[in-house]
Amino acid sequence: MKIDITYPERTEKAIHRGRVIRYARGPFLLAAYLCPVFNIYFGGSAWSVVVLWALFMAWTLLLSPDLVEYNRISQTIKTVEYSCVLMILIDIFLSPGWAVDVVFIVLFSALILTAILFFSDFNRQKQNMLPMLLFTAITLAASIIGLTLWKGKAMWPALLAGLLSLALMAACYSVLGRDFLMEFKKRFHTK
Amino acid sequence: MRKETHSVFADYTQSLSTAEGEALSAFFADYSQHNFLHKTEKALMRKDFENALLCYASLGVTLEDALKRLAISNLGSFYARPSLRWFPLDNAAKIYPFSMTHGRMAVYRLSVYLTGNVLPDILQIALSFTIKRFPSFATTVKKGFFWHYLDTSKRRYSLEPELSVPCKPLKVARSGSQSFRVLYYKNRVSIEFFHILADGSGGMVFLKTLMAEYLRLLGIESGEEAGTLDINETPSPRELADAFPMVQQTEKISGFVNRPAVQMSGKLCRQSPCRVLHFKMDAGTLRAAAKRYGATVTSYLLALIFIAGRQATDEQSGTMRVQVPVNMRKFYPSKTLRNFSMYCGIQLPIQEIEDVESVAGEITKQLAEKASRSAMSEMVTAAARIVSSLRFIPLFIKTPAVKLVSGFLSDRLFSTTLSNLGVVHMPPELASHVESMDMVMGPSATNRAACSLVTFGNVAMLSITKSTVDPSFEEALYGLLTADAVMMTVEGTALYED
Repeated sequence: MKIDITYPERTEKAIHRGRVIRYARGPFLLAAYLCPVFNIYFGGSAWSVVVLWALFMAWTLLLSPDLVEYNRISQTIKTVEYSCVLMILIDIFLSPGWAVDVVFIVLFSALILTAILFFSDFNRQKQNMLPMLLFTAITLAASIIGLTLWKGKAMWPALLAGLLSLALMAACYSVLGRDFLMEFKKRFHTK
Repeated sequence: MRKETHSVFADYTQSLSTAEGEALSAFFADYSQHNFLHKTEKALMRKDFENALLCYASLGVTLEDALKRLAISNLGSFYARPSLRWFPLDNAAKIYPFSMTHGRMAVYRLSVYLTGNVLPDILQIALSFTIKRFPSFATTVKKGFFWHYLDTSKRRYSLEPELSVPCKPLKVARSGSQSFRVLYYKNRVSIEFFHILADGSGGMVFLKTLMAEYLRLLGIESGEEAGTLDINETPSPRELADAFPMVQQTEKISGFVNRPAVQMSGKLCRQSPCRVLHFKMDAGTLRAAAKRYGATVTSYLLALIFIAGRQATDEQSGTMRVQVPVNMRKFYPSKTLRNFSMYCGIQLPIQEIEDVESVAGEITKQLAEKASRSAMSEMVTAAARIVSSLRFIPLFIKTPAVKLVSGFLSDRLFSTTLSNLGVVHMPPELASHVESMDMVMGPSATNRAACSLVTFGNVAMLSITKSTVDPSFEEALYGLLTADAVMMTVEGTALYED
């Protein structure tokens, strides 16, 4: 069977992320298995929980990023949310007493950063509004929970983060107007 | 390079008469009024027009004629209005975003071979003009809270020279990414579609309309017929509709689950596809060969695929099953350009696969039964019920679950695929400028080969997408066809070994 080559010589190599993932899967799974085993065997604080979360973060943020909606807003938010969970886990299992304030400061800063990313490229980024809105909603909920749980404590970071999230929601609504509702319709459709 | 082209265009404008210069200024003023894209995109699109004008000049087309062909009114209001449209995915498309992995996605490719080499500057303009007629193609994939959806993406849709493996995954993750790519190489124009957009029939309408527009820009006019659309017509809601709800719901449903099928032997390549082959045959001879066995072309080719598949596997027992996509439009007349096809599985115990005579009858019988309106309606009903039961589950919960199930089922249920797009027609004025067409299926995770057939004029092009270096399957198929006096030329890619 004689084959006439009618395609150009391949000059652009295919993406090899799939291969990287294949090679990395083994070491990651091994680490995820061994850490809890060692942790249980040697005892002490539950450091393996922190390691497992860190491995998950590295996997989803670096090795196997999102295949749909990989944009600057969604990735920034994802990184911040995962980092906050990591901080809370460190606080709970390794070094208690500092995360509540820090998490709210991080959330507050992340809201400012997200707002800059969103409004600086408004026309293109308005399609990426949902991750930001969900983030503001999560921040608002976290602030309310924080303010309720730690009533006596000076919780100005939580208060500021909550207020900023409300302000950001209002800003989105006033700028987008009808599109804001349209965006909601799209994002929450069940068809 | 950019500066160089710009200076070439500046030199060109200087060579024009005052009247021509004024006509050109008016043309670009009109362009500005029709384009409110981001300034970078707007500049790129203006450059496209400059390149097209230079191309026309090199072809000896007068400026007056060139401006007439490139009339800015062909851009319509697509680039001047904000994006508002969005499309929920149809029931067939819903699985595709879940089944994507890094390095693998449901992509298929349609190609047209012209009688002359492609002029990319003109093709780019044809694409810019054509895309507005296909709003469901001018979209990007987005994540909703419950389901993915297609959101309109107003941008300059660009074409690319062919540099890589056919059906390479598309990068759909970035903001406003295209869900299809238009490629050119010598006399071939190819479009690779993410299956989320359309099935082969919808994709073919897009390709034919793009070609009709390209040829119009080259001065070859045609009527609106034979499946090409008028690019300046307002898109009909029927073309954009999800046609699955029009399928009559049945009491009985048919499942998607089955026992795994026998796979061809041969190590799966790291680079998939590792080869694409086209068997270029005379359509009349192929039909005559099928007729000798009392079979249709699809049944005949399925019979050959079963026999070749048997020769390409070391398995001695089990069931060989071939997936055959079924166009639902033949049962439910629909103008939709989106997905409106299901599939059936034609199966034979491997021990019973001997020769064409012995299997052709059984295949024809199974095709009549399994690709019937009632069988397809049962499948559509099953799909609708699954989708309905999942609709209120958030995407972040649904994604890992569906990925797991689809990964488990995937293409292990089938040994291979045969997609027959049938005979493609084009208006006669355009058909004389087209040599042939082909369709290439994207590679699958487990199947070693996938086949597809497109007939244009008197050329039937059977394409095989290979995922193994082992040539047993295609060699057996070649031998069987030539034994039946179906002579052919074999074209394709080099072997990609990574």
